[in-house]
Amino acid sequence: MATTVRAGAFLMSEVSMSEESAESGPLIRAERVVLAYPGVRVVRDLDLEIDEGQFWCLLGANGTGKTSLLRAILGLLPIASGRLEIALHLTPDTVGFVPQHCQWSRTLATTVREFVGLGTVGLQLRAAERTARLGRALATVALQGLERHDLWSLSGGQRQRAMIARALVREPTLLLLDEPTASLDPAAEEAVLDLVARVNRDDGVTVVLVTHDMGVAERYASHVALFHDGAVENGRRAEILRRDNLERIYGASSHGWLHGLGECPA
Amino acid sequence: MIEEFLSSWHLFRDAYVSGCLIAMLLGVIGVLIVARDQIFLGAAVSQASMLGLTIGLELGWSGAGWYEFDAVTSLLGSLFAVVGALVTASLRVPGGESREALTGWIFCVGLSGSVLLVAHSPHGLEEVHRLVSSTIVGATLVDVELLAVLAAGTVVALLLSWRTLVLVTMDPEAARAMGVRVEWWDRALYVWLGIAISLSLRVSGLVYTFGFLVLPALVAKSTMREMRSMLILAPAVAALVAITSFVVAHGYDLPPAHVAVAGLCASVALAWTVRSIRG
Repeated sequence: MATTVRAGAFLMSEVSMSEESAESGPLIRAERVVLAYPGVRVVRDLDLEIDEGQFWCLLGANGTGKTSLLRAILGLLPIASGRLEIALHLTPDTVGFVPQHCQWSRTLATTVREFVGLGTVGLQLRAAERTARLGRALATVALQGLERHDLWSLSGGQRQRAMIARALVREPTLLLLDEPTASLDPAAEEAVLDLVARVNRDDGVTVVLVTHDMGVAERYASHVALFHDGAVENGRRAEILRRDNLERIYGASSHGWLHGLGECPA
Repeated sequence: MIEEFLSSWHLFRDAYVSGCLIAMLLGVIGVLIVARDQIFLGAAVSQASMLGLTIGLELGWSGAGWYEFDAVTSLLGSLFAVVGALVTASLRVPGGESREALTGWIFCVGLSGSVLLVAHSPHGLEEVHRLVSSTIVGATLVDVELLAVLAAGTVVALLLSWRTLVLVTMDPEAARAMGVRVEWWDRALYVWLGIAISLSLRVSGLVYTFGFLVLPALVAKSTMREMRSMLILAPAVAALVAITSFVVAHGYDLPPAHVAVAGLCASVALAWTVRSIRG
């Protein structure tokens, strides 16, 4: 039986949950969760707990269910079975999401200010508060002074930071990022990931980041979830990113994965 | 020329006011349609609406003819337009055909169906031709009132939720993540589009309707740097061109709808030129 225990405006609750228990417990708890699309089961029996302030990297090959888990957390993908608990104070108002690609058409002009301001959709804010949040978000991603620039005149890295600002303007408790550096050069990638790490460290925002790069997980994550063949191994980074563990999970193909680690096997 | 135009005001007041209201209403909605790259949706919905109006005529419900307001005929026109817009927006064609293919199909069904339905009616084809060729002379006070209500509703909706409308249009995935019910907003927009187009089509014809849905939005798209500015500029340009065209058309005894659309085409060409010069 699929049970999603959630609260707030966007969440349907089958089992009640007190606010006290939600705030003292994990932000997200998954018990034997199965994620599936018609005819395809991508994740089976996922057990996972994400606590406040943690930095999670979801690692794995394409099609292993990393993005599906983000969509399930966002309430965009119903779980097929199991139980997914979301803390009461996590609502769309307190979750920021950075998609892999900007869907905005290149033929339509928009300024950085307008684009980031769209992140306040659904929030009941006065104009002054909206402006203040916009200023804080742009300062966090170091895009002050570029407010009136065309979004498409920015570099790839700056545009990605604008997308992160659009998520941060909601002043989220939880920040979900789906391969935010997929199309960036190494310098821009590092700048974006350093920014995410700073938001996690300084503002206490919980981060869940999808990546293919084990080196990113090794450098930034406090916790890692490895997606492979429908299974998910997860826990503290040091426990999961052990060479013997990776060799056990990936077998003969482990060399490619281990290549991203600092301690590359001989 | 302006004095002559003003002297005709008492005769054509309803037509002029209707023309301006249609221009502003479609100017705003057109920005969202052009932003979605669904320009031909307007033509397809217009044809679907025409099929509904033709059925009304053929069934004899509009006994006194096209030039009188007839609730049933108008309702059929609106119904077909709304259904056409919703089908285009939400129906998935087997085999993964694009939305443009569906839009083209609806356009052809509406066009061929409306002509075939009245092919043997006395003056039937003449009436279809009148709708296609556009004239706003027959607008009535009821048309003005209905268009004013639609325009006022559009302004209120934009003031309250322009950000949501823009986000749903430009980045639906992000909107969903923010808890926005994207599908409901889409449906609301298409219903609004269907009603606006059907009313505009009955009052002003196909050329004027399609022209004011698409061209002011293209002017705004080429000149503005933000979606919010486009939503302001498009209806302003539309109203300005409409008023100017009515004056010119009256002065030179030309069809006002065609003068207006020609004026909009010139405005788009000017906007594209300015953009190419600005780089």
